[in-house]
Amino acid sequence: MNRIENHPILGETPSRNKVTFTYNGQVMEGYEGEPISVALKANGVMAHRYTAKKHEPRGIFCAIGRCTDCVMIVNDKPNVRTCITPLEAGMKVQTQYGVSAEKQD
Amino acid sequence: MKIERYDMIVVGAGPAGLSAAIEAAKRGIKPIVFDENQRPGGQLFKQIHKFFGSKEHKAKIRGFKIGEELLAEAEQYGVKVVLNATVIGLYPEKEVTVRIGDEVKHYKGDAVLVATGAAENMVNFKGWTLPGVIGAGAAQTMMNLHHIKPGNRVLMLGSGNVGLVVSFQLLQSGCEVVALADAAPRVGGYGVHAAKVSRCGVPFYLSHTIVEAEGTDHVTGVVIGQVGPDWKVIPGTEKHFDVDTICLAVGLSPMSQLLKQAGCKMADTKGGYVPVCDEDGATSVPGVYAAGDVSGIEEASSAMIEGRMSGATIAEYLGYITKEEKESRVNELEAQLDTLRQGMFAPKNRGKLVEKTEEGIDVSMNLLEKGYVAQDEIERYPGVTKSKGIHPVIECTQNIPCNPCQDACKMGCIMIGKNITSLPAVDSNHKCIGCGMCVASCSGQAIFLVEEDVEPGYGEVTMPYEFLPLPEVGDKGMAYGRDGREVCAAEVTKVRTSKAFDHTNLLTIKVPNEMLMTARFYKAK
Amino acid sequence: MIDIQEKLKEIGPYVEAPDDYMLVCRCEEVTKGEIRKAVHEGFFTIEEIRRYLRSGMGLCQGQTCGKLVKGIVSRELKVAPTEVEPAVSRAPMRPMEMEILAEDGGVAHE
Repeated sequence: MNRIENHPILGETPSRNKVTFTYNGQVMEGYEGEPISVALKANGVMAHRYTAKKHEPRGIFCAIGRCTDCVMIVNDKPNVRTCITPLEAGMKVQTQYGVSAEKQD
Repeated sequence: MKIERYDMIVVGAGPAGLSAAIEAAKRGIKPIVFDENQRPGGQLFKQIHKFFGSKEHKAKIRGFKIGEELLAEAEQYGVKVVLNATVIGLYPEKEVTVRIGDEVKHYKGDAVLVATGAAENMVNFKGWTLPGVIGAGAAQTMMNLHHIKPGNRVLMLGSGNVGLVVSFQLLQSGCEVVALADAAPRVGGYGVHAAKVSRCGVPFYLSHTIVEAEGTDHVTGVVIGQVGPDWKVIPGTEKHFDVDTICLAVGLSPMSQLLKQAGCKMADTKGGYVPVCDEDGATSVPGVYAAGDVSGIEEASSAMIEGRMSGATIAEYLGYITKEEKESRVNELEAQLDTLRQGMFAPKNRGKLVEKTEEGIDVSMNLLEKGYVAQDEIERYPGVTKSKGIHPVIECTQNIPCNPCQDACKMGCIMIGKNITSLPAVDSNHKCIGCGMCVASCSGQAIFLVEEDVEPGYGEVTMPYEFLPLPEVGDKGMAYGRDGREVCAAEVTKVRTSKAFDHTNLLTIKVPNEMLMTARFYKAK
Repeated sequence: MIDIQEKLKEIGPYVEAPDDYMLVCRCEEVTKGEIRKAVHEGFFTIEEIRRYLRSGMGLCQGQTCGKLVKGIVSRELKVAPTEVEPAVSRAPMRPMEMEILAEDGGVAHE
């Protein structure tokens, strides 16, 4: 588990609402309001998208919405920066291939 | 099209922007601050270490606490902060376009302050796009804001203050830092930051760079290699580490695009692309100001002062205060800023090798090349003295602007003097009572209490300890040297926590007398 | 103004390098080799390189690769990075949907 429950300086992590969302159809749990990328990380997801030209995997890189490497398809909308988009119950999160949810050849 | 008018528009609710807005609001201006993030405070809320400086710079207070104080002050003076509001354009007539929700809104300010901060620099190497290669800022964001470990085994690239501080934070959040590498031949950040990472057992590889990040779908390993004078990797020097995360801390660049768009005169400097500003933060476009990292990379402490200077300047520009009032305030702030810009790490010394301290003592080359002061170097510093009874050993070996230890000691044992970059000296005429306030107040965690012969042949070392789980009295483990190597068995004899220590616990271990000047860290068995 | 022909003569022809494959612009997937080659084809400013190769024109707008591209161009041109002409700064500073931009001020709808 990579969640930090207790921190020497920040203390205990405040309790938050657990919600479910889907990642490529698979049901996962995360905390409401945390970035989608954090919930994915807690579930062991590293690759958020595959690039358009070279089909290479990308994941969290800057974590503050600048680099746009962590974009995914969220509720059918592509190019959503998952590192700054808060998780909501029932969200549909999909790997982005290029700009599509369909795997390319 | 509707345009809303404000006296003062601030872009960025970080330390500089908020400080400027507060300063202006105190003079009767009603500023509006836009920030693209969900939370205000910029990077302050990711800074969990104690800040340097002196009282006026909020020294020994942790960054996120300073952030909380700033927010409270902003609220007190009625500063309006609009979050999730991305400024997407700044036009020469001081028109600001802001994306809020699914709309672009237009504003016009009589004065506009750009305090957008900085962006992280990156380096590229084979595999640098793999998931698991992240910026140091990303690591901080994940662990300190979102309570998740960036990885389990991490390699850090970069020995500047960001690389050093984030390495320590990674250790605090329970990650293993397998190595810290930097292509430069010497540690770039504060020696005290390096020393606290070193003694935890993180090896430093100076003159090393990343050759390759390994893995197919995410990082599984990293290869580093030694660089020659031409910055190319010397064949045969490659070293492999199993890691799941590679963290890049290779500097920051000002995020000055808005100022450029507004038509401000820009300068391309070694420190990045910055607006040409006068000392109060006024750019070449009347009414447009810049403060904080966007006008040149420094620390949050200086960004806050720069922000306040711009706030006062804008108040005068808009006619809320007189020129005299502004000047007296700006002079006061300038003096504070000057103090922060002194010492070995002063902007004027950037990139230079300083070989002697202000006191004329040789700087530890081992510290610069390996990350810790060698055993045979430590005794030449004025904070390191020998006596039988309990006394502080201050392993502060570089001139940095910082003096909380002097104020912390009520007994007068620690002297820095008026010049806050001076190395602290221990005055053995004053009697140490072992209260440990100096240990907890040192932002660099460089102070230890040492006492000989607590029992025959054994003495005690008290050290700052900011990790979990907190050891308990009676625990047996190993003591580690400054270099992070095991030196001897140790028993925990005291564990002190106190509100006044602000999460810096004082851990006392018993070791043989001859190890009192060597043992500087403890790990449970 | 730089005399392009003179400069091209000075810097010599493009020679392949072992790390030419390395990605520089993460968004538009532009490699170091492509950028180096472009310089030898006469593209000397960041603005020209952006338009020619699309480096720095993706979602992040050059936030990540800007400094790297500048370094590569300056090395090829044999000048200091501060002498490379930077790109023009334009709104929007952050990625946003065309739909929202188009509705800016309600003008586009009328």
